[in-house]
Amino acid sequence: MRLLLAAEFLKLIKQSKTYYALGAILVIEILILVTAYFQGSTILDLLLDNLKQSFYFEGTLLNGNLIMYIVLNSLWFNVPLILMIVTSGIVTDEYKDGTMQTVMLQAVKKWKFITAKYIIAVLFTVLVIGFMMLTTFILAYSIFGNGDLVVYINTLNFFEADDAFHRICWAFASGAVSMVFYCVVSLTLAIFIKEAAKTWIAAALFLIITTLLLKVDFVLPVLNSFLFPKLIDNWQQMFYYEPDWTQILINNAILLLYTVAFGAAGTYVFHKKDIG
Amino acid sequence: MLTGNNLSKSYSSGKALDKVTINISAGQICGLLGRNGAGKTTLFKILCGLVKPDEGQVIINSKRAKPIGGIIERPGLYNFLNAYDNIKIFAGIQGAPTDKLSIEQTLLKVGLPVDRKDPVRNFSLGMKQRLGIAIALINDPECLVLDEPFSGLDPIGVASLITLIRKLAEEENIAILLSSHMMGEISKCCHFLYVIEKGEIVNAGITNELINRHITSFSITAANLMASSTLKKYTVEMGTNDARVVCTAAKVPSLLSELLQEGIEVTACTPVLTLEQLIKKAI
Repeated sequence: MRLLLAAEFLKLIKQSKTYYALGAILVIEILILVTAYFQGSTILDLLLDNLKQSFYFEGTLLNGNLIMYIVLNSLWFNVPLILMIVTSGIVTDEYKDGTMQTVMLQAVKKWKFITAKYIIAVLFTVLVIGFMMLTTFILAYSIFGNGDLVVYINTLNFFEADDAFHRICWAFASGAVSMVFYCVVSLTLAIFIKEAAKTWIAAALFLIITTLLLKVDFVLPVLNSFLFPKLIDNWQQMFYYEPDWTQILINNAILLLYTVAFGAAGTYVFHKKDIG
Repeated sequence: MLTGNNLSKSYSSGKALDKVTINISAGQICGLLGRNGAGKTTLFKILCGLVKPDEGQVIINSKRAKPIGGIIERPGLYNFLNAYDNIKIFAGIQGAPTDKLSIEQTLLKVGLPVDRKDPVRNFSLGMKQRLGIAIALINDPECLVLDEPFSGLDPIGVASLITLIRKLAEEENIAILLSSHMMGEISKCCHFLYVIEKGEIVNAGITNELINRHITSFSITAANLMASSTLKKYTVEMGTNDARVVCTAAKVPSLLSELLQEGIEVTACTPVLTLEQLIKKAI
């Protein structure tokens, strides 16, 4: 397994699309930063005009914490879509280039090969989220500085600077779990579908449906609590005034179980399927 | 060494293989002739373990970690990597040596340069075929399966690949099975031929015997063939520089002798045998 992981890692770092993915994340961040720099104050003043008549705000609300929170919101669609496209390519490219056949003609066990791919995809996803957090942190704080965070979830929530940073860090960690789930799903879809373009469509559809189902009431409490579309917004719960840490932990653990289940299904199908 | 017994495979589009039996010994080069869609690739995929047959079994007498290597349809390579890194990856995943010396030896064995550092997407098709064979040979398999190895190659590339295939069979005692729809190329290097049509083996035999048995005409190249009175005794189709004479292999020596007596110096006499003839005769 160690040898397979080393080979997968070598392939990942030698492929240009890996750097395209990191570049795409950076472009999203820079766009948010540029927009916030030129228009952020005007929008915030407009939104908080009434409140400013009753309350005194210390420092500026357009600060590094708010920028990090806005970037964090790209975990809803932009980032998972990029990750799903890149990670599904780990399998679809092998089919397209005929290397899947070449690998299967070597003395390699099918389940070990595909498990190595899942592991590398997960590591890549975690690396991307880490990269996203680090670059946003550096850019946002160096340009906009520190300050209190104002967030609208059902109502306006205010967090002091230190508390806000603490919550943002945990939100990135929880968001990484959601992204890992999406990347494992995309790899499983790639195993089923094999073709890149069809897999992208299926992955985008899965992402859209999951996001839509998040708002649907399934009537049954167990479905409303534990069906996977209801668990993908765990990171958002960090910004409730009093987050339920135990529930967040349980939800992330269940999402990880779903991730393992999708991975196991993909591995089983790959093991049983003919190659070619 | 490599045996496929009564192999059958069906897809939703129809039967791809019907009770195919094939046998290759160590050091033997076997050819599988067939038109496009005859079932060659399906048979190869089954022999290599990529596809499970509906019926029949594949037996490989080998205790090595990798009993069989091969190229199916085209060499599947990581085009963004160079030849060295391709070998390194494919050797690494199966625990074969990945040190510089071993990788360079593998490249040299198939006649590839060790100093090319550019990605293999820049390689010619011939070089990609060689790299594909190098990858197939990692971990010393006892059988090698090459699906359409000559397609897309120029005559120099074909000749060079035939030399390499012969060398591997003779020097390393590898059992080699290769497929093609090109009669000329496959008859030049194979000891034994199988002919496949619509998923069935319709003809088989030692290459020379099979060709002699089915040959019906020869292409004769010489100057002034139009004036030959000897050729008037035969059914002849005149070409620009040659004449296609319908006769059996047994009559060729007397035909050449008569032409020489007429003062016509024959520079080439090549049997003309098409795949269709081998299929039709058998059916």
